[in-house]
Amino acid sequence: MSYAYLFKYIIIGDTGVGKSCLLLQFTDKRFQPVHDLTIGVEFGARMITIDGKQIKLQIWDTAGQEAFRSITRSYYRGAAGALLVYDITRRETFNHLTTWLEDARQHSNSNMVIMLIGNKSDLDSRREVRREEGEAFAREHGLVFMETSAKTAANVEEAFINTAKEIYEKIQEGVFDINNEANGIKIGPQHSPTSPGGLAGNGGQGGAQGGGCC
Amino acid sequence: MEYFKSSLKSVLGAPPPESQPSGADTVERLVDRLQSSSLLDDRRDACRALKALSRTYRVEVGAQGMDALRQVLEMDRTDCEIIGLALDTLCNITNPETFDEEVNKHGLKNKIGEQFTEIFIKQLDSVGQILAFLEEFDFRVRWSALKLLTHLLANRPRDIQEIILVSPMGVSKLMDLLSDSREVIRNDALLLLIQLTKGNANIQKIVAFENAFDRIFEVIRQEGGAEGGIVVEDCLLLMLNLLRGNASNQNFFKEGSFIQRLTPMFQLPPETDDSPLSGWSPQKVSNVHCMVKVIRALVAPSGPAQATAACQRAMRACGLLQALCDILMASGVPADVLTETISAVAEVIRGNASNQEFLAGVMAPSTPPRPAIVVLLMSMVNEKQPFLLRCSVLYCFQCFLYKNELGQSQLVQTLLPQGNEAPSLTTGQLLCGGLFSSDSLSNWFSAVALSYALIDNVTQKEQLLRVLLATNIGKPPVTLMQQCVMLLQQGNKTQCKLGLLILLCRWTAQCPTAVKAFLGIDSSVAYLTALLSSQENNDDLQETLLQSMCALLIGLCVYFNDDTVPNYTKEKLCHLIENRIGLERFQDAIGGITRHEVYSRTLKHPQPSAKNPADLLLDHEFCRLLKNLEGIIVKSVLDGSSSHRNNDPISTLTPSESALVAQYKELIREQDVQIQSLNQVNVTLSKEKCDLEAQIHELQATVNHLKDQNLVLRAAQTNFSDEKQMMSTENHIDTTVREDLDKYKVIVKDLQQRLDDSIMKLKEYEHERSNQSKSMLESALKEKMDELEKLQKDQEDLLELLTDQESKIVSYKQKLIALGEKVESDESSGELDTDDQPESSN
Repeated sequence: MSYAYLFKYIIIGDTGVGKSCLLLQFTDKRFQPVHDLTIGVEFGARMITIDGKQIKLQIWDTAGQEAFRSITRSYYRGAAGALLVYDITRRETFNHLTTWLEDARQHSNSNMVIMLIGNKSDLDSRREVRREEGEAFAREHGLVFMETSAKTAANVEEAFINTAKEIYEKIQEGVFDINNEANGIKIGPQHSPTSPGGLAGNGGQGGAQGGGCC
Repeated sequence: MEYFKSSLKSVLGAPPPESQPSGADTVERLVDRLQSSSLLDDRRDACRALKALSRTYRVEVGAQGMDALRQVLEMDRTDCEIIGLALDTLCNITNPETFDEEVNKHGLKNKIGEQFTEIFIKQLDSVGQILAFLEEFDFRVRWSALKLLTHLLANRPRDIQEIILVSPMGVSKLMDLLSDSREVIRNDALLLLIQLTKGNANIQKIVAFENAFDRIFEVIRQEGGAEGGIVVEDCLLLMLNLLRGNASNQNFFKEGSFIQRLTPMFQLPPETDDSPLSGWSPQKVSNVHCMVKVIRALVAPSGPAQATAACQRAMRACGLLQALCDILMASGVPADVLTETISAVAEVIRGNASNQEFLAGVMAPSTPPRPAIVVLLMSMVNEKQPFLLRCSVLYCFQCFLYKNELGQSQLVQTLLPQGNEAPSLTTGQLLCGGLFSSDSLSNWFSAVALSYALIDNVTQKEQLLRVLLATNIGKPPVTLMQQCVMLLQQGNKTQCKLGLLILLCRWTAQCPTAVKAFLGIDSSVAYLTALLSSQENNDDLQETLLQSMCALLIGLCVYFNDDTVPNYTKEKLCHLIENRIGLERFQDAIGGITRHEVYSRTLKHPQPSAKNPADLLLDHEFCRLLKNLEGIIVKSVLDGSSSHRNNDPISTLTPSESALVAQYKELIREQDVQIQSLNQVNVTLSKEKCDLEAQIHELQATVNHLKDQNLVLRAAQTNFSDEKQMMSTENHIDTTVREDLDKYKVIVKDLQQRLDDSIMKLKEYEHERSNQSKSMLESALKEKMDELEKLQKDQEDLLELLTDQESKIVSYKQKLIALGEKVESDESSGELDTDDQPESSN
């Protein structure tokens, strides 16, 4: 399975907001109502297509508990995208977003794309955080926003794919240094600029970029 | 400090003469200079001298100089030379090894390094400081810091792991060292990472996240792959640490397509004919061992089934299984490498139909070509092959038949009479040969291997009953089962008997036909009961196992008995057990096996774990069979004998007792009726219970709903904590307010009523009034109209009069003019006239 790009993601947010369930829904297309507490970090992966290109997503799902905070910080550097998740039925998970965001901004590279996610949109009757509040927070901090439901799968695909689109656009704009792996982006084997076989493919890519500029 | 001084004195004896300063004094002076000198050069010299003394006077330098050295690390951070010296000194102090210089003073196995490590890391940010020095590119600093960390880790692994785990970017800094162009740093970093990742899943995951696998493969490539030196082995050891038992990293490894990158490492260069062993240097053997372990870590039977299956698929798809099979069939491969490779192949195919099929299709490059499996089994039943190799073949065969119905049936098929002669050697023939060979280990291997063809497969159990063996010429052929029972009764070694019993137990389990066949064999049951009843339970392991298996076999004959052998029906067998063996003795014997450590060890992992041929007694799958069936078998034997006891007296009743029995029967009938009525009650009650339960469910749902609401309310309450006080007081007066409210409501209602009435009245009133006034107005209008008419008539009369008068005035005026009277202008005269005239007319 070859890919054009590989993006590293992390999922962060308070404990119990549904981070692991989002990942499971995205990678396995299933929902597990009772999920064990994540210990440290768990890994998941999936291939998606953007702009006709195969993109591999490597996703690290972190533990939300305070006790693991120092461990999960090690994953910020080296991630190209982050899903910052809160639970729309628990106000306090929304209130903690600022702390999470500070943490992420402090330890990650500055270009990391952060997607704000209000999860559990299926539980509208128990909603404590209005959609507009999420939107406002995202606007204020320059994040992309979405409400999802890991249970019904609503918007889950979109959340992961839109983040990838955002990263892909940044690559096209030349914001990301794709040769520095600490950015969480890797070029697929056949696209590697160092391999002579990939030169033709590279030229095509450059052309596409030029077209984008015009 | 005093302690160290005094201990030094006791070691050195009397205080030294003034002319020759002791080591301790020198150290003290140097530490003082290091702390107080203002010139960097002086501090450097002091540090250099301390470093030189730190081997011989480790205790003194450590005890007195630790703080000063720490101070240097803090204050002189920018000077690489002094930092390097200070780090080197700390390295010596904390060295886990004992220096030759101090053996006389502190003994061979002192724990000085460990104690100083403990002291050093007590200050919280010490390790963080050392980690920071890793970022300094200067060789002296970076390498010394790396060595110091290695020492600290060796002395206090758990503590250092935890500290590095929580220090920001701690693991990242170490990982960056793998890209250092100076090999010594890269290699030492590798060694450090191997220690650091031991037994800590969180660190393993972070290391993997930091692109460890990419970097490791890169180093392996630089170092020449499987043919490379010890650095390759180090790389593989680190990889193994990251993967073993770490499902998340295994998934990452698979998803990152790293399995594919293992394949080329296993592809052996074409062998040279003149010296086949030249290709296998000791280092290469070690490397391949590690590579095989990496593979086995990914497909370990203990791992999550789904992930294991995915890895197995990937390994076949990318040619790794092929490469492993090539090693199996290659010549000149050292036996230990071969053994490990066979075990790896075993786990790569275990339970995976297409991989099993792949192995079945592999042909050995022999003349004539034979299937690889046949060649492997030939080694298993060959006494001359190394024991561990034979064990690994059995494991491979077990994995080959694991959940493989096709493979199982193909094996049994080779034993059945064929239409046309099959000239080639088959697996079945090999196993039969092994079963009847004089080597008890071969017997055991073959019997157990054959039992794998019967696991969860009743069809093959029945098929195997059809197998006939030709004996001496002139005698009729015997069945395989008869032959097994006969071998069991002959004076063979216990190991052979255990193997046969494992086979027979597997054969009879879940298969009444096999039970029938077994019971039909002469003296089969007699042998088992004799063995169980004659021998006392002693401490000998082999005897215990033997008795345990015999008891299990009898138990299986009871439980899976379809009562078709008249001499040994379920009932009769139970009777036999009770009378000849004793129920307690039977239970004791059947459970005897589980009390041994070898049982739990064998149960843990499917691979045979014995180190010596004589220890190979139990099989994993057999232990599982025993574990699953022991309970129900004991129960069925106990039930069988108790029902037996109840039935027994009836046949030996006297007539007088029969009357009593009849009486009891009546009683029983009555009780039966009672029971029926009670049953009915029970039915209604249970129905009620169901209803009630449903109600409870409903109520629970309501309660849950209320709880949720409560939760929401509570959340709201916390949000409005400011208003809480107010809220509570409001709550307090709520009742009085409500009362008042009710009162007011009544009043308001009353008032409303009254208001409505009033409005009605008002409307009526208005209506009336409007009607009245209308008629009055009309009459008034009429009067006024009449009046108006009268007035108009008057006016008309007057106007007529007026015109008369006017005409009269005109005639008078003319008369006057005619009379010569001066008359004023018409108008004025007219006016005057008109003024005068009405008066006059009036």
